[in-house]
Amino acid sequence: MTDVVAVDGLVKSFGRTRALDGLDLHVAAGEVHGFLGPNGAGKSTTIRVLLGLLRSDEGAVRLLGGDPWADAVALHRRLAYVPGDVTLWPNLTGGESIDLLGRLRGGLDPVRRDDLVARFELDPRVKGRAYSKGNRQKVALVAALAADVELLLMDEPTSGLDPLMEALFQEVVREAAAQGRTVLLSSHVLAQVEALAGRVTIIRAGRAVASGSLDELRGLTRTAVVAGVRDAPGAQAALAGLAGVHHVTVDDEHVTLDVASDALDAVLAALPAYGVRSLVAHPPTLEDLFLREYSDELATLRVPEGDR
Amino acid sequence: MTTSVAPVRAVAARDGVLVGWRGLLRLALRADRFRIVVWAVAVAWLVLASVRAFDSLYVDAAARQARADLIRSPAATALAGPGFGLDDYTIGAMTANELGLWIMIPVAIMAVLAVTRHLRAPEEDGRSELVRSQPVGRDAPVVAGLLAAAVAVGAVGGATFVLLLATDLDPAGSALLCASVVVVGLVLAGVSAVAAQVAGTARGASALGLAAIGVGVVLRAVGDARGPRSTSVLTWLSPFGWSQATAPYVLDRWWPLLVGLAVTVVLVGLAFALVARRDHGSGLLPGRVGRAHGRLGTLVGLAWRRQRTSLVAWSVAIVLTALLVGSVAGSVADFVESDSAIAELFPAGSSGAVASATAMYTAFLAVLAAACAGTVLGAARGEEDAGRVGHLLALPVPRTRWLLAQVGLAALVVVVTMLVAGLVMGAAADLTLDDGRWVGRLVAAAAVQSVGALVVLGVAVVVLGWAPRWYGVVWAYVAYTGVATMFGAILPDGTDTLAPFAALPQLPAQPMDWPPVLVALVLAVLLTALGLVGFRRRDLTT
Repeated sequence: MTDVVAVDGLVKSFGRTRALDGLDLHVAAGEVHGFLGPNGAGKSTTIRVLLGLLRSDEGAVRLLGGDPWADAVALHRRLAYVPGDVTLWPNLTGGESIDLLGRLRGGLDPVRRDDLVARFELDPRVKGRAYSKGNRQKVALVAALAADVELLLMDEPTSGLDPLMEALFQEVVREAAAQGRTVLLSSHVLAQVEALAGRVTIIRAGRAVASGSLDELRGLTRTAVVAGVRDAPGAQAALAGLAGVHHVTVDDEHVTLDVASDALDAVLAALPAYGVRSLVAHPPTLEDLFLREYSDELATLRVPEGDR
Repeated sequence: MTTSVAPVRAVAARDGVLVGWRGLLRLALRADRFRIVVWAVAVAWLVLASVRAFDSLYVDAAARQARADLIRSPAATALAGPGFGLDDYTIGAMTANELGLWIMIPVAIMAVLAVTRHLRAPEEDGRSELVRSQPVGRDAPVVAGLLAAAVAVGAVGGATFVLLLATDLDPAGSALLCASVVVVGLVLAGVSAVAAQVAGTARGASALGLAAIGVGVVLRAVGDARGPRSTSVLTWLSPFGWSQATAPYVLDRWWPLLVGLAVTVVLVGLAFALVARRDHGSGLLPGRVGRAHGRLGTLVGLAWRRQRTSLVAWSVAIVLTALLVGSVAGSVADFVESDSAIAELFPAGSSGAVASATAMYTAFLAVLAAACAGTVLGAARGEEDAGRVGHLLALPVPRTRWLLAQVGLAALVVVVTMLVAGLVMGAAADLTLDDGRWVGRLVAAAAVQSVGALVVLGVAVVVLGWAPRWYGVVWAYVAYTGVATMFGAILPDGTDTLAPFAALPQLPAQPMDWPPVLVALVLAVLLTALGLVGFRRRDLTT
């Protein structure tokens, strides 16, 4: 299966600023791919290069097997885009904007359009200038999701949506994925990406610093284990000597430690000798993975270790 | 409770609604400083230039009296003033009667836009929410907006007065004329402050204010045509009527200005009363609900929908100017024939005089059409900066098609407006001259000069395609072509080299000459193609 999005060594500079500095990004057909990174990391620039709105300086970029700059129009028939900050035509209603975007695409599915308008509880008769941030976002979501396309490029699509609409968004993206569509989802809502995405790419200063399925990424990091044991000091002494075990601390009858995934077997084998009464192990959340990639920046932001 | 909230001091509650107006006024004046200077200098300079032109054209009493007879007609009265001093038509009487209205209208427009800009527009882009969350009273923006408009209006009046001191006109009359202009501005600022409370949007508020100007102009036009020297009731229903009733340089009466000032006070009071009754960000009139399903589906349709109000206004202004020029053609001919000294200046006779006047005005209208085309591409540039073009180009919409839609709309508006203007000017000239040849001549003249506007449009496409952040260059170029076209004869040789209108044959005063027209047409196409190439190659700005 070929990749729907294949970006290798992408470089894009604005004047002296190197927004993308050798970015790699691969999205397979049919997957929901999370695209993570803080503000200014280059997520929007990447998506705008994929849309052919910006021209790449260096590197190979293929989208649905075509060149996003040269084949923009042909590719755009097969994809839809939701920007993170939607600006609507102030004197057009939301409904008019949706239908305009649809006609310029060559037609929307009217049933799906009306269904989405109803589900997102959007009043399509309001003028663009009068919509709140979240409602502008809904207009773009309806226009994109009502289109019959293979690929959805979403750049922080739910900014400004309330938690109910966030839940509905996740439902709608799952439906799209179930229909075989590919989704590239750039987002700051890590729980959303964790719920939807099979694979993620984390970027930093214009480069991908981690990429893979959530399980693969979790394998690269440590599981936090808290064990209630009868002989806590003994357990501490034994576990601290194992390879791949870090930060072993004791608190009354609990041992707390971070374990690399390949050391879990050894830890589980060692524990019964000290009388296990309770055991909690939680794999790293996407938030942990993300923050690990940015641990040095957190230090400069003076966020204390315990809050990470 | 271990802490207690200090009670809000009573004094703060009392002066609350006005707190912060000084800061807001400073902010408004800072934002407007260049705008105010440009308006003041432009208006004052044009008034001075016009008075100088009157001075040099109407040197003796006979010529002035011929002018007075011409302006006495109802058609001319509608576009001039109430006609004080027509029996002894001095340069002063002429200035007040024929120029006054045309100083008042732009100042009124300026006042309306200034008030909306400071009162209502910030509510829409969220700026005033930040401001109002500070200790700033509800009425402070109204005070600041009105005072900012008053400062602007006063600056225009003051600058005009100072420059008029350089003429032979009586300073007392000049002071009254400028005060009359200022009072019209104040009344319209008051109207706009009320409109800003009533209308649902900032655009709606501007539209209401501009509509009030239109109604005022029409009331005084009909009133003065019915009852000369401000004797009609209709005249006294219009702010322009009050200010023109002062009869500067003739009767020099100040009391009609009291009417304007009194109405201003009432309007401002009404605005303050209304501001307490509406919600931030919305007007007293309910916002209208639009269509749930759109019929709009083309790029040209979208561009038209976005800009139709502005484009219709430009076209109407150009065609009305053409009508005015055409309808005075008969008077021009009579005037030339009536005075042997002037007749000697026109060896081709009165017909030659009409031809050179209409040729000059046709070129002037083409400059206006070029400016209109500049606004279309300027709006396209604004759409790109707002991110909406990116929205469209993320659809299967080729860049070329999008830009050609904007250029096509601009070209269409330019050509159609110019042809209609030529037709209207020609028809009016034919009626007043009792001749049948001017329609053909002036439609041809308009067609030729519209090619010049297409060249300017081409320049705008090149700038948009290659250096969108430098779009201001287009406006500098439009201004240059305007000055070079209108004043090319008195400027140093070669100044008008880059102005397309001057290079084209000035029909009907000059014979048709195909090569320059064809060169200009090819140039316009090449410039557009060059701009398209640039637009296809560059990054979108947002």
